[in-house]
Order: sequence, then structure tokens, then C-alpha cells
Amino acid sequence: MSENRLLDRSSDAPVKRHMGLKASRTLANTSIYVLLVVISVVWLIPFICIVLQSFRVESTWQESYVIPKQWGLDNYRALFKTDFPRWYTNTFIAALFTAILQTIIVLCMSYTLSRFRFKMRKGLMRFMLILSMFPGMLTMIILYRVLSDLGLTQANALPGLILVYVASSGMGYYVSKGFFDTIPKSLDEAARVDGATRFQVLKKIILPLSKPIVIYTVLTAFMGPWGDFVFARYVSFGTSSGMNVAVGLYNWLNKDQIAKSYTMFCAGGVLVAIPVTVLFMCLQKYYVEGVTGGAVKG
Amino acid sequence: MASVKLTDVKKVYDNKVTSVHDFNLEIKDKEFVVFVGPSGCGKSTTLRMIAGLEDITEGTVEIDGVVVNDLQPKDRDIAMVFQNYALYPHMTVYDNIAFSLRLKKVPEDEIYEKVTSAAEVLGITEYLTRKPRALSGGQRQRVAIGRAMVRNAKVFLMDEPLSNLDAKLRNQMRAEIILLRQKLDTTFIYVTHDQTEAMTLGDRIVIMRDGIIEQVGTPMEVFEKPENIFVAEFIGAPKMNMMKTELTCENGRWYVNPFGAKIEVDGAKAEELKAKNVQPQTVTLGVRPEHMTLLFEPSANSIPCKLEVNEMMGSEVHLHMTTKDDTKLIVRVPTIELNEEQRKMLAYGRELYITFSGKVMHFFDPQTSRNLIYG
Amino acid sequence: MTQYSDLEFLKLSKWQKAGYKCARFFTGIPTALLNLLKRIWGGIKGAGLAVKNEAADIWSTFVNGDWKTKLSFLVMGFGNLARGQILRGLLFLLFEVVFIGYMVLAGGYWLSMLPSLGKVGPTETYDEVLDIYTTTYNDNSFKILLYGVLTMFFIIAFIYTWRQNVKQNKLAEKILASGKPLKSGKDDLKSLVDDQFHKTLLALPMTGILVFTVLPIVFMILVAFTNYDGTHNGYSNNLFTWVGLDNFNTMLNWNVKSGGGTQSYAATFGEVLTWTLIWAFFATFTNYFLGMFVAMAINKKGIKFKKVWRTVLVLTIAIPQFISLLYVSKMFAKNGILNGFLMSMGWIQQALPFWDDPTWARITVILINVWIGIPYLMLVATGILMNIPADLYESARIDGANPWQQYTKITLPYMLFVTGPYLLTSFTGNMNNFNVIYLLTGGAPTNPAASGAAGAVGYTDLLITWLFKITTGAESQYYLASVVGILVFVVVALISLIVYNLLPSIKNEEDFQ
Repeated sequence: MSENRLLDRSSDAPVKRHMGLKASRTLANTSIYVLLVVISVVWLIPFICIVLQSFRVESTWQESYVIPKQWGLDNYRALFKTDFPRWYTNTFIAALFTAILQTIIVLCMSYTLSRFRFKMRKGLMRFMLILSMFPGMLTMIILYRVLSDLGLTQANALPGLILVYVASSGMGYYVSKGFFDTIPKSLDEAARVDGATRFQVLKKIILPLSKPIVIYTVLTAFMGPWGDFVFARYVSFGTSSGMNVAVGLYNWLNKDQIAKSYTMFCAGGVLVAIPVTVLFMCLQKYYVEGVTGGAVKG
Repeated sequence: MASVKLTDVKKVYDNKVTSVHDFNLEIKDKEFVVFVGPSGCGKSTTLRMIAGLEDITEGTVEIDGVVVNDLQPKDRDIAMVFQNYALYPHMTVYDNIAFSLRLKKVPEDEIYEKVTSAAEVLGITEYLTRKPRALSGGQRQRVAIGRAMVRNAKVFLMDEPLSNLDAKLRNQMRAEIILLRQKLDTTFIYVTHDQTEAMTLGDRIVIMRDGIIEQVGTPMEVFEKPENIFVAEFIGAPKMNMMKTELTCENGRWYVNPFGAKIEVDGAKAEELKAKNVQPQTVTLGVRPEHMTLLFEPSANSIPCKLEVNEMMGSEVHLHMTTKDDTKLIVRVPTIELNEEQRKMLAYGRELYITFSGKVMHFFDPQTSRNLIYG
Repeated sequence: MTQYSDLEFLKLSKWQKAGYKCARFFTGIPTALLNLLKRIWGGIKGAGLAVKNEAADIWSTFVNGDWKTKLSFLVMGFGNLARGQILRGLLFLLFEVVFIGYMVLAGGYWLSMLPSLGKVGPTETYDEVLDIYTTTYNDNSFKILLYGVLTMFFIIAFIYTWRQNVKQNKLAEKILASGKPLKSGKDDLKSLVDDQFHKTLLALPMTGILVFTVLPIVFMILVAFTNYDGTHNGYSNNLFTWVGLDNFNTMLNWNVKSGGGTQSYAATFGEVLTWTLIWAFFATFTNYFLGMFVAMAINKKGIKFKKVWRTVLVLTIAIPQFISLLYVSKMFAKNGILNGFLMSMGWIQQALPFWDDPTWARITVILINVWIGIPYLMLVATGILMNIPADLYESARIDGANPWQQYTKITLPYMLFVTGPYLLTSFTGNMNNFNVIYLLTGGAPTNPAASGAAGAVGYTDLLITWLFKITTGAESQYYLASVVGILVFVVVALISLIVYNLLPSIKNEEDFQ
């Protein structure tokens, strides 16, 4: 992209000297509006298409046109004759448990690393940094074998999946640690002088002040399982009743299935997207805070 | 209501930086002690070690005769006011003050009694239901003090409590702390970098630099008998003038000759010099700005100077001068002593003359910077 | 090369400065690596010293200790019990009993089998009565390796606990000698919610990380030195065993041909790595600059409906990625909506080969990744742009900077400075961006020259998707997957190290504060 173009449009100053300040500003703003409209259209088109196609009745095949010739809820009805409800429940339960457990673990970890100065603290953080450089996928091979020995794969994939999601989540402490770092330490100290134990400091001072980050953590933890593909696929290992929505819907787009289930995929996608999106949009504020805070802290 | 004793207290941080060296101090019951020094001198660290917020690397801290090194802050029975107040932002003023009492499971009606009476003393009754963010700096400061007051703690610690306030409010709160101290009648340890606060508040002042105690004494002692150049310069504003000069003795009379002027040391000082068996030598001579006399015409034994800066403070004028060999001297002159014409003469580059009496001199060893009499 | 002093450097022209800085960067690499080696060596020496000190301390504790202490060397927790610290003593004792029990009953076996990874594979016996072959399963290499590693962990934990036990005795003697009481079990429990609260908080997260990350990683690193694959699964068909560095030779030696393919694994690895780095570079920086651009456009003074524009973009973050990725992948397919639209408009005659031509496919994934990534980057950039003090711009405008200069002299340096670490993690994250590639293309189009290299590697495959394909491929060459995983780690670690050690913006943390 050209950075030159970028600047002309994003600033208030004259584009050309002989133009009036006001005229050039109007020009710049107009071009930005055009650009933003184009961006909005490009970004929304796939989602509009998927919604439209989910209502298509005349063909389940991937057609090259978008607007259905015949509208109907056939695809949604068809969904309920498949394992889709099962996948949906699986994913929902996984998301629920992950949201709760992962939040607890991440908060424990990040609070500790933010507030306590113990001997191994720096070493621990460095160790986790190095660990995170290993591709997590590598561990799937062995985790699958261990989980299958424990009987937690395929049809029983759900508990195994939750375990895998939650167990190592302590390594994702950065964002919430960054948040805790912004709460002044003197609050802890004042409370401790006032007679609070460390536990009481956490319960009575820090947690009430941490609502944004708790919500952010819950939200991201909840959204994770809806989008997870690779771990879920590994653990369910081809058994339909153990799949989550991502794996199940992915299979519908296989060469041999796409012809009869493409529109069903669209319908399933819409059903998956609705609750997650609604939840997300409601809690948007906290997500934005977490993302911007987290990136700045590194 | 307790004594505090620090014995050989030392603080070394993980990165091997020593912040406090062998700190020894005994604070008597109901005494108001001020730790003062430039930033980074270890005064706050020492206070935080007493509070239990920092580990003590070596030595012992005793409160009321009990070694508290291994006790958590909550078990030391101390109250503390923080520099940034550290009010709990999610609690009302009432809950902030009541927090420690609730942790101690004091009955609610008793809490109500204590909190409201503390609020009354501090004049914050009408704000009790507000959150801290709706308060001004001065009000927050009062809440922080109130929170410490209701504790009835053995020791009252204050870590630069006034440094976030503007100058006017600071003076007002300083007076209130003096009043508060009379009401509470407990042991106070107060940390500040401001020598005025230290002088006005403290029964005793502990002056620190680089983790070492430079001098401990009452405000008058540290002002009149500074043990070294650092203390002499740190206490008093503007700071004490230092001049390199020869201390000579002729027929039992002592003289100094700064910049060619020959000024006789006052009799009492001379006696003290003799008692300490000081030999004639090169000394660093200290004279406070307010002890210097400004002359518009040269006289016997006056020091000629050039005026660089004239700071009009209202009730007094601070004159920054340089001598011939570029030593900088400051003279403090009450405005009332200057007539209209003289005031006009205080212009940049003007030749002026200063002198001082033999009573107000401080003699320091240029090598060790110890006071030759009191050091 | 010549070294300039600060003042000499200031006299150089713009290009000379850039050249000088560049040269300094590259000449700095050997020094940085040397320093790293020095630090590692220092670490080793430090560790050696620490072990020596520990040993000396243990010895002096033994020599100077009373009989309770001495007995504690053998019976853990005895000193605690004898001195009245019942809870601690019992815990130590329990741990020792469990450890010894485990070692006798199982640990010893796993350890003894670890060097061979199993001796007897499955055997078949002919049952004459039923006229069938029955298989008896014997040793299990997988379990031996897994439990062997676990046993080692356990031993390390035991040594550590034993050392703590010794320390406790020394401490207890010291405390008693000074006339103070020891901490009771009740005190210990209380301290778990107070001064030792961090241990309580860390217990659960660290256990999870240890069991579900550290243990598997150690295991998988070891697998790289075995021949564990689909035909040597260690139990039901053949045992697997140690093969030394053979697998690294297979992967990195140009002369070793891959099974079936026309080029060596090394060549394939090189190609995939190159593409991975190119992809990571473009995926990171296109998103970064375009995201910043969109953020600046939305946040520009005088633009209305800021919330609307932002919400449209944020909406796309909310929708689970697998839906959008899979759907977009189909949109771009030969018979997809996009080609259909273009053809119906008569702009093209033939479907564009978005996923069928290597170059088309690579460009398309980068473009789609922009679509995926911009909303997120827009949020990040918005947050940072709002934090840039307005007076910087005001002062720049008074100094006569035009908008472009304001951007290059203030906005960009500030952004780069603040997001330096983020860019690094984002780069390494993109290197391992499994979802985008796998759900969009699945690695296609396939590379015919490398098709034999485990799992039909394609032109858009990253190392991480290749790794996945290897493990799920027909031959399940876990050992190769493990080698690829280790190499990914090496690459990521090297990049991180170089960036961290050489980029001044990360070192001079305070510059912009």
C-alpha cells in the first residue's frame, strides 16, 4: 500500500496550497467517507452472503449466485436431523466450562506475577516465554494418546477437550497481568497495613476493581472453543458425537459432502455466529480495553 | 503508644543495591520523628521496613520491645498514610475508614461511632457517602488520615503525606497534622523530603543521605549545630553559603579571611574551637544567607561581590552574588530594611559588599566535611 | 568498520546515517551471539557454583546438626515431627513413602526400560484348538517413554523436596537456638492465604502447565530421537527405539531423498520455511500498516459515525474465525461466488485460479488475512493513537511539520516503539498461524516435487500445518513432526533473540515515556 496516500487523507492540512483550508478538508473527509463505505461493504459482504445462502431452498450446492431464488428455512430444519445439535451442545458446554475455569487460572497466574515478588518469578516468566515458542500442536500427539488411555477421546471428547483448553491457560497471563500492574500497589499495601491478609486483599480490594479484565478474560475464554478446530478434531478423532461445531461444519465442506450440505453449513454458521456475536457486541467495551491495554504492555 | 527501635537495619535489594546501611535509632513512646533527605536516600525504604512492606535484609526492628521482622504488616499494629493516599476507589469514604475495623470484626455500631467521630475531627462528615474520586486532594488526604486514625495503632506512619498537595493546602494540612498529633498522642514516624515540614513537625529529625543517617537531633540542634556540610546545606533555605578560607589564631584570637576580608571569630565560638583543640588550618566556612549583612559601600573587612540575580519574595529579597573568584553566595535581606533607593540599586551586575558577624560561623573540615566543633 | 562518536555521527548525511546504523546492526549480530554464549556459559558456571554451594550447605547441616537433623537425612520430616511441626513432618514423610513406593512398584521398571524403549514387541501364538493366531502385547514403548519421563520428573521433585527437608532442619535449629518458637501447622495453613499466598495461587496453573505442556514438550523432543511412527507405534505393531540424530539427518541433509518425492526433505523444509517467513512478514506488516491506516481514518477529526465504522469492523472479530475462513475459502473457489460474479459481469472469461496456482494462492491468503486481521489491528492502533499526547502534534505543527512529516516523525515512531514487542509476538504468532492457512487452503496447491515428504505438503503450507499433516498423514511420522517442531522452536527463538538484543526501541524502554 502507499503510505503517501494514507497520509493525505488522514490529516487536516491542505492537499494543495492554493486550495482553501476548508475546501481541502472537505475533500479529504469525502475521500475518507468513500473509503470507509467501501471497507464496510467489503467486510460485511461475506456475512451477508452466508446469511442469504442459508435461506436458499432450490439448491444445496455451492452456486455462483448469492440471492436465493426460493427462500425458506429448509436448511435450518435439516440441521436438526444431523448431529449438529450435539456439536452445538458440546461446544457450548466446553465454552462454558472453559470460560469459568480458564478465567480462574489466568487470574491466579497474572495476579501472582503482578503482585508477588518471589525468588523464582523472573525465571518462571522466562520459562513460560520459552515454552510458548514450541508449537503447541506438537503436544497434541501425546495428549491425544494420554487422553485416549483415560477414555476421554472420541465420543467422550468433551471432558478431554475442556481439560486441554484449560490446563495450560496459565501461560496466557500477559493481558491481565498488564491490567493488574496498573492498579497501584499502594492499595494492596494500605489494605495489608489495615489488617488484611493477602487473600483478603485479593477478595476485597483487587477483584472489585478488576471487573473489566475479568469480563475480558471470560469473554475471550468463552469464544475460544467456538473457533477451535485443530485440538477438537484431534480429540474427537472422527467420531461425530464428540465433535464441536468447527470440526463438524468443516467436514460438511469435504469434497464428497459439499454438494448436499453447503447451504446447511451456511445455516449452521449463522446459528453459531448469532449467540457469540450478540454476547461479544454487548461486552465489546471490555474487549477493546483488554486488546488495547494488552498490546501496549506487550 | 509504643517505642520503636531499629538496630543495625540494612536493606539490600535483589540487584545488590544497598538502600539502607546499618540504621540505628530508638524512637521513644509518643515521640514525633521525621525522616528527611533527598529522594533515594532510603527514608521511605526504612519506613516501609517498619511497616512490614519491605523485607529487612539484616538487623532487627522492634515495636514495643517485640521483634517484628517476621510479622506481616497486619500483625504489627501500625497505621500508615501513603503519599498517593491509597484510598480504595470502589468504597465510599465511610467504608474506606471502616475497612480496618471491619477486618477486625468490630461491631457495626462501634464502627459507626468511631468513623463519624474521626470524620468530625477531620471535617469530612458531609463526604462520608462519597467515593474517593469525587473528593479534592485535600479531602482525600483527610480521608487517608482518618483511615489511619480509627485504628488506634501503636505507631502512626506517614510517607510524604503532603507532597501531592499544592503549596497553600500543604501549609494548612501541616498545621492540622500538628493539631492531630496533640489529639492522638501516639508515636509518629513521618517521612518527607521537605526540610520545612521536618523542622516544623518533628520532635526529632533524622537526616539521611544514600542510606546513611547523617544526623539525628531536634530541629534546633540540626539547624544550629549541623554535624557536616550536607546537613548544614540541607536544613535552611536558601542553603548555607560555603567559602573556602584559612582559620588563623593570633594571640589567642581566632580569625577567618574569606576573600581577603579579615573577620574575627566570636568569643564563644573561639572557646569551643579551643575546647575541641582545633588547630589553625584551611576550613570550609559556612554562613547562612540570613546571617549575612548587605552593604552598599565598601567598609573594613567587607567582601566585594557582583549581583547576579535578585529574587523578590515580598517580605524579603534573595540576592545571588558572585565573588571575584566566582564563588556563589546568597544573601537574604528583609525588604523592610531597604529603602526605595536601595531597592533600585539591586540591579544585575551591580557591585555590592557583604559582611557577617563572628557569631554565626560554622567551620567544616574541607576533607571530611565534618563540623570541626560539633562533628 | 569505523566507529563514530555521537557528535561525528550527527554530522553524517541522512543516507550515511542509515547505512551506518544498518552496518552496526549486522556487525552487532556476532557480538550479540557471543554475548549470548557468554551468558549461557555464565549461567552454567553459576549453576555449577550453586550446586557446589548447596552440597557444602547440606554437608555442613549434617555435620553441625543434632541427631534429629541427622536422622532427617534418611527419614524425611523426622526433624519436623520431633520438633513439633506435625503437619510439615507428616507431609514430608508421606511424600517419601509415596516416592519409595512408586519407585519400587513402577518407577524402577520404567527407568530400567528407558534406554531400550522396550525389548519384546507383540508376539503371535497359534492356538491349535481354535485355529487362530492370538496376539500377546508385551512391552509398550510409548508408555515406557512417557512414564520414564514422568519418573524423571518425580525424581527431580524428590531431590528438591529432600533438599527442602534438609533446609528446614537447619532453619528450625537456628530458630530454636535463638529462643523463638517454630511455626505450627496452623501457622503454615494460615500463611497459605497470606505471605505464602502466591504458592496457593500458582499451584493449580503450574500443575496444568507442567502436566499438559512441559511433560508433552519434553516427550516430543525425545520422540525426535526415536523412530516412532505409524508402523512403529510402540505397542500393537512394532516397538520404537532410539535412533540418535538420524531424523535430523533425514530432515536437514540435502542428499537424503524423501520417500516418493523427487526432492529431499531438506529442500522441502527450506521451501516451507521460506514461505513461512514471507507469510509471517507480510501477514504481520500488511495488517499492521493497513490497520493503523484504517484507525487513523476513523479517528480523524471531523469524521462522523465513528462508532458505526468501528462496530462494522468489530463485528467481524466476533464471528468465529472458522466460519468466516471456511466461507471465504469457498467464495474464492473455482466455482465460488466471486468467480461467478466476475464471469456474470463479463469481466473475465475463465475462473481465476485463486487456489490452484501457487502464486495466486499465496497472494490470496495474504489478502484474506488482511481482511481477517485489520479489525483487530484497528482496535490496537486506536488505543495507542489516542495515547499519543496531543501536544506532540501541536508542537510539530508549530515547528512547521506537514501531515506526512507528522506521520513519519511522530505517529510512526511512537507506534513502532509502543508496539515493538507486540510486533514480535505477532510475527511469531503468524508463523504458527494454523487456522488461517489450514481452513483457507489446507496447504493446497500440492507441491508435486515434495509430495512424498510426509503428508503431501503444498505451496501455502506453513511449517505448522506441515507438522499437522505429517502427524495425520498415512504414515504418521511422529518423529519427523517432532523434528519440524523443534526446528520451528529454533527459528522462533532465534528471531526473538535477535530482535530483543538488537532493536534499540525495545532496549530503551523509557524513550517515549
